[in-house]
Amino acid sequence: MQAKTFTMADLVRYTLVIAMLIFFLFPIYWMITTSFKPPPDILTRPPKWVFEPTLVNYVYAFEEADFAMFMKNSATVSLISTTLVIVAGCLASYSFARYNPGAGHLTFFILTTRMMPAIAVIIPFFVIFKEVGETAIGQALSLGLDRLGALVVCYTVFNLPLAIWLLISFFQDIPVELEDSARLDGYSRLQVLRRVVLPLAAPGIAVTAIFTLLFSWNEFLFAFLLTRDVARTITVGVAGFWTQRGILWGPLSAAATVCVVPMLIFALLLQRYIVRGLTFGAVRG
Amino acid sequence: MDEAIEKAPAAGRAPKRAMSDTWYSILLIAPAVIVILFFALFPLLYAIDLSFRHVDLTSAVGIGPYVGLDNYRFALNDRIFWESTRRTLIFAVGAVSVEMVLGVAIAFLLNQLRWFQGILRSLLILPLASAPAAVGLVWRYMYHPDFGVYNGILATLGLPELKWLADVRLAMPSVIVFDVWQWTPFVALIVLAGLQSLPKEPFEAAELDGASTWQVLRRLTFPMLAPVLTLVFVLRSIDAIRLYDAILSLSHGGPGTATETLTYYLYRIGLKYFRLDHASAISLMFLYVTVVFTGVALRSMMRVQAERARRA
Repeated sequence: MQAKTFTMADLVRYTLVIAMLIFFLFPIYWMITTSFKPPPDILTRPPKWVFEPTLVNYVYAFEEADFAMFMKNSATVSLISTTLVIVAGCLASYSFARYNPGAGHLTFFILTTRMMPAIAVIIPFFVIFKEVGETAIGQALSLGLDRLGALVVCYTVFNLPLAIWLLISFFQDIPVELEDSARLDGYSRLQVLRRVVLPLAAPGIAVTAIFTLLFSWNEFLFAFLLTRDVARTITVGVAGFWTQRGILWGPLSAAATVCVVPMLIFALLLQRYIVRGLTFGAVRG
Repeated sequence: MDEAIEKAPAAGRAPKRAMSDTWYSILLIAPAVIVILFFALFPLLYAIDLSFRHVDLTSAVGIGPYVGLDNYRFALNDRIFWESTRRTLIFAVGAVSVEMVLGVAIAFLLNQLRWFQGILRSLLILPLASAPAAVGLVWRYMYHPDFGVYNGILATLGLPELKWLADVRLAMPSVIVFDVWQWTPFVALIVLAGLQSLPKEPFEAAELDGASTWQVLRRLTFPMLAPVLTLVFVLRSIDAIRLYDAILSLSHGGPGTATETLTYYLYRIGLKYFRLDHASAISLMFLYVTVVFTGVALRSMMRVQAERARRA
């Protein structure tokens, strides 16, 4: 269509692109470089751009706080709640997409719960988990305060509405005729769901799983207020370097890097799924 | 799970026949709906109950007797409540408008690029994928009046240094800049996807008719993009009024109360002063307003989506 030469207009465009990239990537660059700075170089005026890289901040962060445990907690909670969200979400959204129980009112209600500010429900959640945690069942399911099960429940509840909404749009894209012909071939309804519908919806399920995992890993408020020691997650661990004596910027940057970078890699690898997920499936990305 | 459904008693008149579609559909939604209903309704009822009582967990009162509408009266007469509401709106309007303008501009820019479009789109995801609670703290370091890199850059350029989050007037704009950093890519990526899904034919026809760029934008691109723009605007507005992590990690609502939004004020009275009665009353009013607002917005969004589905 256009000539393959670099025009004046291209020069302007790519200059703007570079400015944009600097604005959006610089904070991440600064976080990672600060994490490798020797402590004396962190509090200098003006800030140092060139320095001897060191691992002392990482050593300090992992010795001072149990970051291995925080990461394990975050991973456990994120993976379990994502699995629960996908199982319950797929069943529900398939039903909504095909049979529309509740004639739209129920799906609308579900979406409004996604809009609840978490802070407004945190106190009742706190009370529930405090009470349930003291019962035998609660202890068996690790549902009390400072227990991972409580966080799993919170993340499942808060991610389900969005997951259902995302998945509905993907299930609606699957032609009903395919299911009808599978039924005529003698498949039961559940076999149709398992062998025909779910494989076809796999990209949508991937999108939903990515988002649920990302939100659960990055979540802060529930983890901050419902855990104290053994169930601390990584985002709360990072905030732990804002201490009474001041903020320990070096270890904090190291911790933030450990928290953020895995999700950045994850997002880059799966970016083609993310764009469609961002739009509630409303725009074909 | 599957077995449980298969063995479930078949409903309807004839016991031997398979379950009716209605029962099957209800069975499928049951796990999700029960979980959501329980965890949406219980907190709601609990908060409603508390909002009519006198509750002060720091004194001997604990969860005390019913006091009628006192807590609502308190909230409506509470100057800080109104101020934090005003700040929430200032934040939301400021952040969302900048994000919309910048995001749309970036989407148009990326759409015109001939090289590197894919990789740039991937890189834009990075701010979105970073945990705001963690990266917000890094921004606090970057905003530091003495050791922060932003003042370092200003000094190198020979510009006056700023106090950023420590300045009462600049604190809110600084929080907005952080939000713009994190969420503009969201707007840009959705609008870009919208631009790329527009049909080609009307544009080719317009080119044949010799329409100017401006005419094409005004008559074709923006009207066709309107549903996508509405969607992004609604989603961003909903999240902006619920902003919480960023305030906690950037400013703790300070200096003074310069960046104390409604959610942070709720956190302070509910979880620092343990006045659960006031917190519940304010939460409920906040919830009511957001649900009504988002309800109206989402209804129109759903209509747009249903229309698109019909046309497709």
